[in-house]
Parts: sequence; C-alpha cells; structure tokens
Amino acid sequence: MTFNLLKLALKNIRSRRTRSWLTILGVLVGVTAVVALLSIGTGVQQAVLQQFEDIGYDIILIAPTNPGSVARGSMSGFVPGGSMPTGGLFAGRMAAQSAAQNSSSEGTSGGTFSPENLGNPATTEPADNATDEFDVEQLRAAIGRTATPSLDTSLLLTQVPQLIEAGTLGTQIQPIETETTSGFLRVSTPSLDFLEAFPSVLGGFQIASGTFFTNTTENQVIVGARSADLLQMTIGDSISINNIPFTVVGILEASDQVTEEDEVSDGALSGQGLAQNLGTANSADLVLSGLTNTDDSLFVLSERASEVLVGRAMSAVTITRVEAGASISDTKDAINVAIGLQGSSGNPISIQEVADEIQGTLSLIETVLASIAAVALIVGGVGLMNTMYTAVLERTREIGILKSVGARDGQVMILFLVDSGLMGFIGGVLGLVLGSTLSLLGSSLLGPSLGVGSFTPIIGGWLVSGVLVFSFILGALSGVWPAWRASRLNPVDALAAE
Amino acid sequence: MLALHDVHKTFLMGETQVHALRGVSLELPRGQFSVIMGHSGSGKSTLMHLAGSLDVPTSGRVEYGGLDLTTLTSRERAEFRSSDVGFVFQKYNLVSNLTAMENVALPLLLRNVTTKQANAQAREALETVGLQDRVTHRPSKLSGGEQQRVAIARALVNDPTMILADEPTGNLDTATGERILELLGQLTSDEKMVLVVTHNPEIAEIADLVVYLRDGKVESQRFQEVTR
Repeated sequence: MTFNLLKLALKNIRSRRTRSWLTILGVLVGVTAVVALLSIGTGVQQAVLQQFEDIGYDIILIAPTNPGSVARGSMSGFVPGGSMPTGGLFAGRMAAQSAAQNSSSEGTSGGTFSPENLGNPATTEPADNATDEFDVEQLRAAIGRTATPSLDTSLLLTQVPQLIEAGTLGTQIQPIETETTSGFLRVSTPSLDFLEAFPSVLGGFQIASGTFFTNTTENQVIVGARSADLLQMTIGDSISINNIPFTVVGILEASDQVTEEDEVSDGALSGQGLAQNLGTANSADLVLSGLTNTDDSLFVLSERASEVLVGRAMSAVTITRVEAGASISDTKDAINVAIGLQGSSGNPISIQEVADEIQGTLSLIETVLASIAAVALIVGGVGLMNTMYTAVLERTREIGILKSVGARDGQVMILFLVDSGLMGFIGGVLGLVLGSTLSLLGSSLLGPSLGVGSFTPIIGGWLVSGVLVFSFILGALSGVWPAWRASRLNPVDALAAE
Repeated sequence: MLALHDVHKTFLMGETQVHALRGVSLELPRGQFSVIMGHSGSGKSTLMHLAGSLDVPTSGRVEYGGLDLTTLTSRERAEFRSSDVGFVFQKYNLVSNLTAMENVALPLLLRNVTTKQANAQAREALETVGLQDRVTHRPSKLSGGEQQRVAIARALVNDPTMILADEPTGNLDTATGERILELLGQLTSDEKMVLVVTHNPEIAEIADLVVYLRDGKVESQRFQEVTR
C-alpha cells in the first residue's frame, strides 16, 4: 500500500512541477551548504592532521621562553630593499611573539617603516606602500636581539631517558643581498645530524635541483622554493648573507604549505602588518609554517653558520623524539626538570598537543559553519512546509475524493508525508551531488587560502547516508502538520471545496 | 437494505444552524433503483452522504445490511466506503493529474491491490462503461459524459453493493444524461442497490422507489413498476 501511495505522491510532485522544483530548490540549497561545508571541513582537518602525522606524534618541541630571545621564532618571507623591481615590500609570516611583545617597552613608537630603517645600506628609496605607522625600534629589537643559549641536547638525552633523539634547529633573520635585490630573510641552521634525525620536521628536505650540502667547510646554502623564485636564484649563484658570500648548491622542492606571500601577491604588506606579524605567531604557527614550510627559508648548516654567521639573534628550537611507548606527558615533565637543571628556559610542547589545539579550533569553526548551513536547511524545511500547507488547501477536494473512495485518515496523512518526504529526499540527493561537486571545486581554491595546500574533501558514507535520511525526515516533518490537517478534513466539507 | 431511523442532521453554516434532516425514517431495499427527489436544500444530498457513511447523523441510526453505520469509527467507515459503496458525483470528482485508468484504479490501490491487478480491473470497468479507448486520457481530455462514465467505472471497480449518485446527469446534455441513466439502471441487480439523488423528474420515471424530501423530512414515497 505504501508503494502505491509512493507512486501517487510521485505523480503529485510531477504534476506540480514548478512549485515542486522551487520547494526542492530550498532544501537543495541547505543540503548543498551542509555537504560542502562538512566535507571541506573534514577534509581540512584530515589534511592538517596528516601534516602532523608526517612530522610524527612522537616529537616534542622545546621552544625557548627567555624574554630576551627571538623566541619561538619562525620568520619567513623577504624584506627587500634597493633595486627590487616592484619597489614593494615582501613579507611572509613572521613569528617572534615574545620578542615583539617584550620589546615594546624598549622601543620608541611612531616611526615610519622602510627598509632603510632596518639598517639596510642598499636601500635608496622607501617602499611606496610601506608608509603605515609602526614601531620601527620594535622590529629592529626583535631581529637584533641576543639569542637564548640553546639546550645541550647530549645532556638532555642523558637527563631524559625517554628521549631517543634530540637536536637543535636555529633560525636567524639575516640581511640578504643578491645581484638584483636585498632585504631580510629567515635563515635556518640545521646540523647534518639534525637533518638525518628529523627529516620530517623540515618537510622531508627534498632537493629539487642541485645537491645536498657536500661539506661543512665551504659557505653553501640551500634555498627554499619560493625564496629561490623571489631571489631569482639558480644553482651556483652567489648570495650574500650578513655580508658573507654563500654559494647556492641546492634548491628545495616546493612544499604543500602556503604562506601569507599569497596574500601579498602584489608584493605589498604594510609595515604595520609586518609589525603585527611579529606578535601574532603561536606554537602552532611555529610547527606549521616555521618548520614544515621550507619554501621561504634559506638553509645553512649549523656547523658552518656557527663560524661565519655570528652576531645575529638566533631562535633555537630543540626538537626531540620520544621512545615508542613512553608517556608524552611524563616525558614533558622530565624535560621541564632538565631545562631547569641546565639553567635554561623553554616550553616543551608535543606535536599531539599542537594537533589537538588545531583540531579543536577547526572543529569549532566547522561546527559554527555547519550550524549556519543548518539554518539554511531549516529555511528550506519551512519553505517545504509552506508548499505542503498550500497543497492541502489546493487539494482539499482531492482529499475528499480520496476519502469518498475509501482512503483512511492515516492513508491521507501518509500520502502527504510521503509527498513532502520525497521532495526533501530529492532535494537531499541533488544537494549531495551539488555540495560534493562544489566541495571538490572549492578544495583547490580554498586549500591555499586555508594554509593546507591541496586537500581532498571527505564525503564519507556517514555524510551521504546522514544527509539523505535527514533530508527525508526534514521533508516529512515539514509535512506533518499539513498532512495531519489533510487527514482530519471532513470528507463532505472537502468534497464541497472549490 | 438501507434503513434510516429517525435521522436528524444539523450543521453550522457560518453562525446559522441548519437542520438538513429532521427525523427521516426510510427503508431502501437492495436490488432496486431508488431516487430521492426534492428541491435544493431539501436534504437529499445530506441523506446520500449519511447513506454512504461519508458523514454521521446528529441523531438517529443508519443501518445497512444489519450494520449500524452510526457506531462505526472513522477508520471503519472508510473501510465500509471502500468495500460497499460507490459514489458518483454531479461534478464527476476525478483526480485531475491521474489518467482515466488511474482514477478508476484508485479505490483498489488504497486497498493493497497490486498496481497490475488494479489496472486490469480498472480496464475492465472502463470497458463496461464503453471507455476502453480512453484509458490513458486525463480528465481534462475527456468530455463531460466520458468523465461521468469514468466516475461510474470508479464506483463499480470495487464491486460495491450500494451505488450512490448525486445528480449524475446534472452537468450533462440530455442525450448523454440518458445514456448515463441507462448505465446506472443496468447496474441494479439482486446484489446491488442504486440510489440516485436528483431534482430531475425524468429520472424518477425509471426508478423502482421514489422518495420526495421537503425541508428535511420525507414528504412521500412510492414504489412503481418499471421496465429497464
């Protein structure tokens, strides 16, 4: 009987095509929004978690917290001056949170930012679009501060038995000069041992062209993909770092990471923005952009840097690997004790914690967006209810006919419920298809702006079945009241309706 | 036999209480062609609705074949209509988005009959009324007479024992009306009763029993010998 009612309901939908499609459209829009947002949200979460998995959940980072350091500093991007063709100011993500915050009391405010102010002698003109008010001294202080003494990793391994590997990755902001341009860039100084022990931390450190470091006695530099583009570097070119000539021996593969360089495609980021960037990075930025993103950095072996690149601040992040099966929490406690014993300061943070922090934020964003999409879906449901209510009014006579030929109240109700449920279901199916298509198209556009590179939206079985069941139920529920009214109509009155 | 015992029916029309039937008592035997006549507002349509269990009386009893229709629940009345009653209305009352065959099959589809079986029976019923070549036509593509024949086929398809027709020729020209009456007359059998509600005196000429209603009361009734 239900099958027969289903066919009758389908006939009703077909016979009122325009209105049915408009009603279905309301549901479709809502479902499309829900599907697109949820699949993209889940896809982004998976992509982010994959990045952490690539780094490894057994990693604990120890970022220095000494107020005098360029602590937790990942500074990517380039501050050019002199003959930069665009005359603009390039900068990517700059993270020197504590330095910027702590130095504010020392600096003088109200200056105008320009490469000149950073002490770059090659600069002849201030950048056109770099005239925002910002604390020059603050930036200078952040870059020029004395580095925190890094932890003794050998001693750390002895002090914390749960650790199986430990290494230090230094990061400096150095003045750079090539034949065509000059400015500031992040220079990472991993040791050979570090690169061997923690390749995943530096995004795999894949050489795209040229070679790996061949020795520790020559001034060799490996350039990140974006930096190579920006500086127009090729293998064998010479580059001056802190006025010391280095030879480019290798250029890295581009990582999946995206920095704010995309947001400053015109080469314009205000001095104010640069200053703000100094104060907005957190530990998650450190991991995501500072370590896994190699695109905006230059790499010099620490063995060489310690000899020739001196006098600049260095952010020294200690990276450790925990023994399999050991408690991350207990290990962190032990590290804290060791930091104290070494007379240093630092804040151990596990990759798991960072991942949890980011996942929590992403889940919250996803929930908010899905809630907004759900509102659209509810609006669609209200539209459906309106259509069904109108249909009951229009089909009053038909209801009378059905009752006169033996339809029971329940059958009339089911007929209307199936009718509205079907419209909800059809809207759900079409919304699923459209939402999936949009999420696939959107993922390639959104990936870069979300900072996760390319990602695949997740359209799992739970989403498909959930959406179909929910849209049918939404449709049916929207039709409950109109259907109930229809079923309660007196047949004589219904037949008398015009 | 359809029997009405002191049946009253009142309803509200706006704020006015209308007494449609005022103590009607009648016995309409099975196997006969009965006609209820009367002017507009005499209560004849109300009587038909009560006979077909589309409505319930305000007081009094309506019995059919020993079954007290006034004690039935809404669901039981629907089942009674489904199994024992076939309605034919003045305005045909066909579902506009269904074909002739689908309209005729509708009562069967509501009774768990498979679509295939329902369609087969619907075709048969349409053949009975001479519309075998109109099965896929929608009501809007049929003439008034054809629509009424579809309605009669629908009333027949469940093989009911009581066929109730409310002004079945009211919207038809004379010739077509005569054919419809002829068809209704042919339906009368030992097992079936046909009750036609009309104000057309010509229909009374072919009826076995003619009942006159006036202001909600039975004014007169007479049996007559007719040859159909």
